[in-house]
Amino acid sequence: MLEWIETTQLGLWLRESPSVWAFPTVLTLHTVGLAVLIGASWVLDLRLLGVGRQVPLTAFRWVFPTIAAGLIVNLLTGVLLFIKNAATWGVALPFFIKMALVVASVATLLPIRSLVLRSGDQQREMGGNARMLAVASILAWAAAVTAGRLLAYTVI
Amino acid sequence: MNLAHLHLILNHVPTVGSAAALGLLILGYARRNDHLKHVGLELLFVIAVLTLPVYVTGVAAHRELREVKEVSDDAIRVHQDVALIGFTVMEIAGFAAWLALWQWRRRGAAARGFVPLATGLLIVSLAVMGAAANLGGEIRHPEIRAAGEAAAAAGDPKRFMTYSINQAAVYSRWMWPAAEAVHFLGLSLSFGVLLAVNLRILGVGKRFPFAHVHRLLPWGMLGFGVNLITGMFFFVGQPGQYIESDPFLWKVAFLVIAGANFLYLTVFGKAWHGGDDGFVANVGDKAMALLSLTAWLGVLYAGRMLPFLGRAF
Repeated sequence: MLEWIETTQLGLWLRESPSVWAFPTVLTLHTVGLAVLIGASWVLDLRLLGVGRQVPLTAFRWVFPTIAAGLIVNLLTGVLLFIKNAATWGVALPFFIKMALVVASVATLLPIRSLVLRSGDQQREMGGNARMLAVASILAWAAAVTAGRLLAYTVI
Repeated sequence: MNLAHLHLILNHVPTVGSAAALGLLILGYARRNDHLKHVGLELLFVIAVLTLPVYVTGVAAHRELREVKEVSDDAIRVHQDVALIGFTVMEIAGFAAWLALWQWRRRGAAARGFVPLATGLLIVSLAVMGAAANLGGEIRHPEIRAAGEAAAAAGDPKRFMTYSINQAAVYSRWMWPAAEAVHFLGLSLSFGVLLAVNLRILGVGKRFPFAHVHRLLPWGMLGFGVNLITGMFFFVGQPGQYIESDPFLWKVAFLVIAGANFLYLTVFGKAWHGGDDGFVANVGDKAMALLSLTAWLGVLYAGRMLPFLGRAF
């Protein structure tokens, strides 16, 4: 099954095409998506931790569509990157650790999102719960990026 | 014109520029004039940004001279080591200057000790850069070299700092991967902060005062600093694969733009005096915001494409 994925037309194109528009562009889009997605998440997390605490949380609603856009780009390019390496990654523990960390990171976004959407223009303080969530989000994303980047060295 | 030529043109910036910035700061102290100090700190920051292409092109010049017999490779390596120390002190001075400027903007005054700190670091970097410039001059001008100095320097390559960094980059199992991982964290932080600030300039959430979004800038600078350190580890560790890659040169150019944009976002007045009505961006502000985002995307694109469009791995 995993071998079959790699040998599909798409898999072969990703692995073997010398074009800059094949694997290199997919990988670069994955990096840009990561920067948008995690950058926007961290900006909101920093606000929850008290940076620029005069700004109402409603001013940060833009981060959610931005995060969603980054997430979609990275899901699509992530699937392509997996197809290229299905046979090796599909059985590699580091890959599953990375995926678990991505799921955990996205999971921290959900309560943060409902918190921000519920808050009004006048609200400035979010309380200890929000701070815990922000710390969890920062660490989970950092771990996910690290695990992803290290895939290049652990699973070849 | 090649990169070696560019090095010969740019290499005066860290010394002559530092001397000018130091002159402005000293004059600012002597006349008790904060405006002069501001300009001195701004100039210091600009020179710190420009010192990056000076160092990078120096490596290109080294490669051009490798085949030239009458040039001593050791003389170049001694110059390179001192230049790397000078670069490091200069960047720290630049960060200190930026922090002082940012605090000035935010609170009306830099934290006590920050301006003297930046000035002190600038004096040290001017001294080290002066030594580096002198050693650099000696590479092609043996007539100014002190007798016997070059002969005494010849020998063991292990004593060079750049050599040790190169060995760590090549033989350590964990240092390169760890630096790559940290580089990606720094990239996310910087990009996220600049995205937030520039989107605000472009009109996202314009009901809210701009100055508050600006509070994020030091975090963007933190990411920038982390990536300067990890990035220099890659470059000093494996200079050849970068200096012969065109995308690396684009990346350095985009980084200079990104650095200049940091200064613009810090010192231009409107951002901080928008009041509660919020900051109304004009066409020029929006063009700068788009330029900044383009430069950051360029940094990401050129960096990630290094192995594919260039020769790096």
